[in-house]
Amino acid sequence: MGGRVNWAVFLSISVFVFASGAHAQSQVIGAPPEASNMKLVGTNDLQARSAYQPTIHHQGDRWIAYIGHHGGSDDNPDPVNPQTGKAEPNGTSIVDVTDPAQPKYLRHIPGQEGKYESGGAQMVRICDGKDLPKGDPNAVYLLRTFGSEAHEIWNVADPANPVLITRIAGLKDTHKNWWECSTGIAFLVSGAPDWRTRRMTQVYDLSDPAHPTKIRDFGLPGQEPGSTGAVPTELHGPISTGPAGNRVYFGYGTNKGGFVQIVDRDKLINGPKEPTPDNLRYPEISRLAMSALNGAHTTFPMQGMPIAEFARDKDGKTRDIVMIVDEAILNECGEPRQMVWFADVTVENRPMMISSYTVPEASGNFCERGGRFGSHSSNESMAPVFYKKMAFIAFFNAGIRALDIRDPYHPKEVGYFIPSITAATDKRCVTIDGKDRCKVAIQTNNVETDARGYIYIVDRANTGMHILELTGTARAAAGLP
Amino acid sequence: MIAIAALTLGALSGGAAYENARPRTGVWREIAWPFPRDGWPAGRAFRCGAASCGDEIEVYVRPKIGFCNCDSGVADDDEVDRVADLDLMSPRFVPLKAGDVVRVADMPGRLRSYDLKMPTGVQHAAVGIAVSRRCDLLVAVAQGTGEAPRVQQVALEFLASADMTRWMTAAMDGR
Repeated sequence: MGGRVNWAVFLSISVFVFASGAHAQSQVIGAPPEASNMKLVGTNDLQARSAYQPTIHHQGDRWIAYIGHHGGSDDNPDPVNPQTGKAEPNGTSIVDVTDPAQPKYLRHIPGQEGKYESGGAQMVRICDGKDLPKGDPNAVYLLRTFGSEAHEIWNVADPANPVLITRIAGLKDTHKNWWECSTGIAFLVSGAPDWRTRRMTQVYDLSDPAHPTKIRDFGLPGQEPGSTGAVPTELHGPISTGPAGNRVYFGYGTNKGGFVQIVDRDKLINGPKEPTPDNLRYPEISRLAMSALNGAHTTFPMQGMPIAEFARDKDGKTRDIVMIVDEAILNECGEPRQMVWFADVTVENRPMMISSYTVPEASGNFCERGGRFGSHSSNESMAPVFYKKMAFIAFFNAGIRALDIRDPYHPKEVGYFIPSITAATDKRCVTIDGKDRCKVAIQTNNVETDARGYIYIVDRANTGMHILELTGTARAAAGLP
Repeated sequence: MIAIAALTLGALSGGAAYENARPRTGVWREIAWPFPRDGWPAGRAFRCGAASCGDEIEVYVRPKIGFCNCDSGVADDDEVDRVADLDLMSPRFVPLKAGDVVRVADMPGRLRSYDLKMPTGVQHAAVGIAVSRRCDLLVAVAQGTGEAPRVQQVALEFLASADMTRWMTAAMDGR
């Protein structure tokens, strides 16, 4: 009897060790995806273009995914669009995901010529014309960056035949914008030519997308034209809670010297606009400094979260929370760990970090798999299906991670999915003794969710888009049937 | 041409292997990295006394891996203001004029001269240097009590030495 038990234990351990070993090895083409409580529903290769922001829009009776792309790679600067037969600089992919098991690629809008961060059209936001105060009610507007030099607005009412409406040009380092559909106010991330920082905010009224109206430039004192001395950390991107919440949360310092700036939206839009140090300070409520070793890529607000643990407390039952996601930049763990942080900003002039999350490196030997390991971004949809309950974090070679955030003081991973690599997956290199040493690995870069509960992840290393759904206990935690 | 020196005073911060390469003896001596930990690993710091350099001059050098636009490199003077580590000494610095292109350890970039108001209130001259290779930066800043052109000349000669060139190249390779 005892012998049988020992053999059983031995076999169990052997199976576990074998499985763990397989899990830890570098990815190979043909191997199945690694998953827990998440299931693949459908895929699209996105024409093997390096992907940044996906935005999923319910458009009439269809669901359309708009995906921004980085520029091309050294090996393939302008991939061929099979629909046109032409080589096109990476831009924006438009995919019908009404049936998520059978995504249909509708159109590629070429972006700016240029490789990696210098080309493409990384960012994309969508507003219906009927929601914008002065929009064409029959139009659907796509706001995108054009490489690093401009912002563009397209009418994608017919997503297979987009029409360019307007372009805001003469900029540098355009990046992660935010657009309020109910007001048309846009917080455009740009580098204005005379500012001392690579990226700052240009606030625009895009309520009539055909006629953009600039409201003001905004940044940190020391970044404005004519200033001298130390230059504060550059912006990565803001998220606004709109007129109702009256706050804009700005994330600075992608992977270093990060902080969150909490800004009074009304004062920002209607306050004095000349970029003097006093005027730049005027709308600021507070800043939450992070370690110099980390930066803020995404600052996702969740105001008024009920905290079950505090339910019987006479005060502080609900908390205003900001989830901060750092961006890993260097391959193969060449920098301090970039991860996820939760801040309690209920008392706005005393914001406080309350918890953190990272994928355990040893769970997949991720520092050895190749490419980046660490966080990059979260879903930004505030649709009720997941908002304030589940968060999805793109973690580069560790795939996508589903977090139960109902108690943000104790976030808990409840699922993950690491897609399989394909022949299209691009290599990632590090320099060893002056020479490149390259590996191929998934690089899950961005994620978005839709109101139906599907999760869309896209790959920086050209592996395309994977559409997922929760299963098992993760699905139950989200309250999905 | 100033002779290059290095006294191995050790006491270097950080543990990167590249810190093991040390320039040889001369008028410069290596000192401990004098700044608190920030977002980047510590670099190397050197001092040249007034007897050798006319005025006391210090040079601080370190790589910043993954901190550069991979295509445009160090594009303008604003970038030198941002990245060249002047703020480690003082947040109060004013450029004297437009910067110039420079090449250090066979890497292209820019340099710029500044008036630097030290925390003690004393005015120093400073020269910020930022050069790049692919997506990585190497930054150096020199400061001293003399005139900016002299600080610049002395610093560039020091950085052009064979030992420093070898070390900077190795540091950019992660060695």
